Amino acid sequence: MAMTCDRVREYAPGYVLGALDTDDMIAVNDHLAACTKPHPEIDDLGGVLPYLGESLEPVEPPAWLRQSVLAAARADLVSRRRAARVSEVPAEPVPAVAAVAAPVAAVAVRPTALSVVAGQGWQPETDVIPLARARFSRQHRIVTWTTRVAAAVAVVVLAGYALVLQGDLAKAQKIHQEDTNINYVLTQPDTRTAVMVATDGSKASGLAALRPSGNVILRLYDLTPTTGDQIYGVWVSSNNGTPTKVGSFPVDDSGTGYLEVDNVPTSANLWIFVCKEPNANVTKPTGPMIVSGTVSL
Amino acid sequence: MRQVAAGEIGGLETIYDRYHTMAYALALRITAETGLAEDVVQDSFLGLWRNAGRYAEAKGSVRGWLLAIVRHRAIDAMRRQRAGIVLGEDADETLPASLTLPDIWPEVAGRLDAEQVRVALTVLPPAQREVIELAYFDGLTQREIADQTHAPLGTVKSRMRLGLVALREQLVAGDYATDRAAVPSSNGKKGVA
Repeated sequence: MAMTCDRVREYAPGYVLGALDTDDMIAVNDHLAACTKPHPEIDDLGGVLPYLGESLEPVEPPAWLRQSVLAAARADLVSRRRAARVSEVPAEPVPAVAAVAAPVAAVAVRPTALSVVAGQGWQPETDVIPLARARFSRQHRIVTWTTRVAAAVAVVVLAGYALVLQGDLAKAQKIHQEDTNINYVLTQPDTRTAVMVATDGSKASGLAALRPSGNVILRLYDLTPTTGDQIYGVWVSSNNGTPTKVGSFPVDDSGTGYLEVDNVPTSANLWIFVCKEPNANVTKPTGPMIVSGTVSL
Repeated sequence: MRQVAAGEIGGLETIYDRYHTMAYALALRITAETGLAEDVVQDSFLGLWRNAGRYAEAKGSVRGWLLAIVRHRAIDAMRRQRAGIVLGEDADETLPASLTLPDIWPEVAGRLDAEQVRVALTVLPPAQREVIELAYFDGLTQREIADQTHAPLGTVKSRMRLGLVALREQLVAGDYATDRAAVPSSNGKKGVA
């Protein structure tokens, strides 16, 4: 039903109290916005409302509420000013405030569910942040952030370099320890050795040291690096018998290989050979033989 | 309000100091819960702070505007609470037009105190006072009031009109007839007696 002036007059009490159904509230609103005729009944009846609220006995709220309200207002003010600064062309005017508002963090704002509301509808007719100042601020931020990013990158690079150095140091220490071990074994009078020579035409070479106790140390050089599951498998065979796997090792870009194992079965002629195996699970030589040597006790 | 609109905290302090007990009393009356009332009062003053630029002095007093905000937000808070909605998630910054009605009797406001207003309310017939209070303090619609009071809808409408008119007459006494003609109405037109 179309809203008429007569109906607005009829609905006025419910309208001013917000007690009409939603559709009727909207219809009355629309009519008042468009109607060219006066509707004094709205003001006549609506003017009563503030007195209804005023009829209540005043109640003193907690004292902290005042500080909370003011602190929230200051925080809102700071927030709006910051928002205005980051915008090169401020979309919203900001109020001219003689005193800079206190920092938000320095004011205890009682957290409330209703206190967080975006700054909307701010329309004071006052100063705006000057454009040059906004630009300077923006350039300053760019420089600051560029410096920060560069510093962060430098930290990452240095940290990475330190890790590389640390890795190299660990690797050098490992090789040193391996060399110490094999030098010690080689100085023992009962140690037997075997020169490991390439069998695949490569430059691979090395040395095997065998103790009567069955302790074997193998040091190889110029091996091609292993990839994926690949390993170098070390096999021994006594008197051309069935090869026995005694251990395995991977090889990195250094091309060096090292293995030290105990309880290797010894015999008068122990053939030691190394194959590049597809994985560590093989139970018999599968890959190409790389180097081999024979220890004569 | 001009100070508030200019972003001066001092202006808000003045308004708070002047109206906080009234605002809190209204929020507490509607919500019946101190914590929620405190939230409503804080939110209302912040709403006034943020929307001060919209405030048009010609449309009424700061007191009337603030109380309209408090009432609107308190009722809204109660409805949200009943609906299980977390307060503040969708706080509406704007007030319905019906709640931003002008305070048309600023001269009357200067001479009336709360006690006189209460007396004016007490002279209303209980049935008329009841429907006005259910609408104003509880935010009920006429239809909801009819259901709650087991009265026909037409009777509720009639009581509401008679009650408001009677209350206006009580408040204004003989002064209103000479004051209101100069006050613009809510749709920007001059009110006429």
